Amino acid sequence: MNRGALALVLVLALSGCNGGTVDEHALKRDSEKVGSLASEGSLLANDVSKGASTKYFVRVHAKEMSQAASDLQNALAIRPTSPGIKRDVRKLSKLAGKVSEELERLHLHPTDRGVAASLKEPLKADADAADQLGK
Amino acid sequence: MKIFQVALGILAAIGGFVDIGDLVFNVAAGATFGYQLLWVVVIGVVGIIVYSEMCGRVAAVSGKAVFDAVRERLGFKVGLVALISAQVVNLMTLTAEIGGVAICLQLLSGLSYRWMILVAGVAFAIVVWVTPFEWVERVFGYGGLCMLVFAVAAVKLHPSWGAVAHGFVPHMDTQSPLLYAYFAIGLLGAAMTPYEVYFYSSGGVEERWGPKDLGLNRVNAQIGYGLGGFLSFSLMIVGGALFLEKGVQPEFLGSIALGVEVPLGQIGLLLALVGILFAVGGASIDTLFSGAYNLAQFLGWEWGRYRHPRGAPRFTVTWLVLLVLALGAVMTGVDPVQLTEYAVIFSAVALPLTYIPIFLVANDRSYMREYTNGRLGNVLGLVYLVVIMVIALTAVPLMILTNVGQN
Repeated sequence: MNRGALALVLVLALSGCNGGTVDEHALKRDSEKVGSLASEGSLLANDVSKGASTKYFVRVHAKEMSQAASDLQNALAIRPTSPGIKRDVRKLSKLAGKVSEELERLHLHPTDRGVAASLKEPLKADADAADQLGK
Repeated sequence: MKIFQVALGILAAIGGFVDIGDLVFNVAAGATFGYQLLWVVVIGVVGIIVYSEMCGRVAAVSGKAVFDAVRERLGFKVGLVALISAQVVNLMTLTAEIGGVAICLQLLSGLSYRWMILVAGVAFAIVVWVTPFEWVERVFGYGGLCMLVFAVAAVKLHPSWGAVAHGFVPHMDTQSPLLYAYFAIGLLGAAMTPYEVYFYSSGGVEERWGPKDLGLNRVNAQIGYGLGGFLSFSLMIVGGALFLEKGVQPEFLGSIALGVEVPLGQIGLLLALVGILFAVGGASIDTLFSGAYNLAQFLGWEWGRYRHPRGAPRFTVTWLVLLVLALGAVMTGVDPVQLTEYAVIFSAVALPLTYIPIFLVANDRSYMREYTNGRLGNVLGLVYLVVIMVIALTAVPLMILTNVGQN
């Protein structure tokens, strides 16, 4: 049983490991994550701007996405980086911070169609920018 | 009247088919590979139909539920390994399902997640304690029918129906074959998750099925699970039609509901959230009872959800303890969606320990008399045993190699 438990811990540690140096592969993966959050935020903002969502759903879902973007921003800002991609990693970190702030605004104004309409395009642009950084 | 009852049972089965594992893996598979993995859902649904029918038949003819068979056919030591692995996976699944219910309540009410965990726990305890079980099953099953809004959303998203049809033909058009294999295993594990057969066979024993009910067993398994699979298709199509194109990786339960909000607006969102709430809530109760069934059957205790708690005290204490453990685990802040992925993959590893004993008992004339597996049942059963073995051996390596589907 002890061996089994050890193996389980090892498996979880290996599979869940998300730290370490940011290499090109990690940069691509994290770019996709930032792009995903921005793109999903844009979809949500679009719905809010049309009055097609609910206050509580927007408040809660925008907050969890904002938190995820903020976590990515922090991780990218402090993790060591492979030579040659440091600039892109820091850019991505900044972009994740921007996405987090925009989603936070959606969280704070879950029924404000004007705010949502003003966030729709910037979030879409952020998704495109993240996509570019991942290439 | 009989047809009416069967229809009600089928409706409840459809509404109760989807759990958090199906939600997470189907939508994520669609968002990652479009409709390419629809064929895997078909394989998974046929697998659960084959083995549910088999263990329902064993329950009807021999009066034995799954863990009776496990103990008898595998012996105490191997049976104990099967029991421990089943209980670990059950507890992980229960934790994920309760977390899912709490998230749904939070998305509907805007209240704190931790409070919603407590509300969910207390509500489950009260509902299970005071409500007649057939009502619990039906109410959650019918509530889960709101999940059909995903089918409407799938149509409204105007997917390429040619590509959808092509998805039912096995093919692999990707540069990430390992990730493709990981999702295939996850989809099979989610469709054939063992707690479903523990619950199904124990229900058959409790409802005192006999050989006269074999037709009902077959209809329930084939139509209930078959139509339930339709919901899985809808989830994957929503993932493929909306999220793949937009580059969204659905990491939250809210993302899954957003997949309905985009094409159907506020009403669609509310129906999706209510549907997820009932479907995942019903799965929580099934999982809770499955854990108690397994232990009670293995140790020869009195068991049964239709009995008064005093008639089966150790069974009652077991599900109460499981509920408290799961609530404690959710309270630690573990992410239910991530936990679901681990639960599905580890349940895939445990599949042979559940399905092999069922297959052996279903072929044993001393138990089954003239009701042993027919030729088709044996061919399908054997094919699925091979599939299950492959899944069990590859699930964890694929999880590691793909970083839990992240790469």
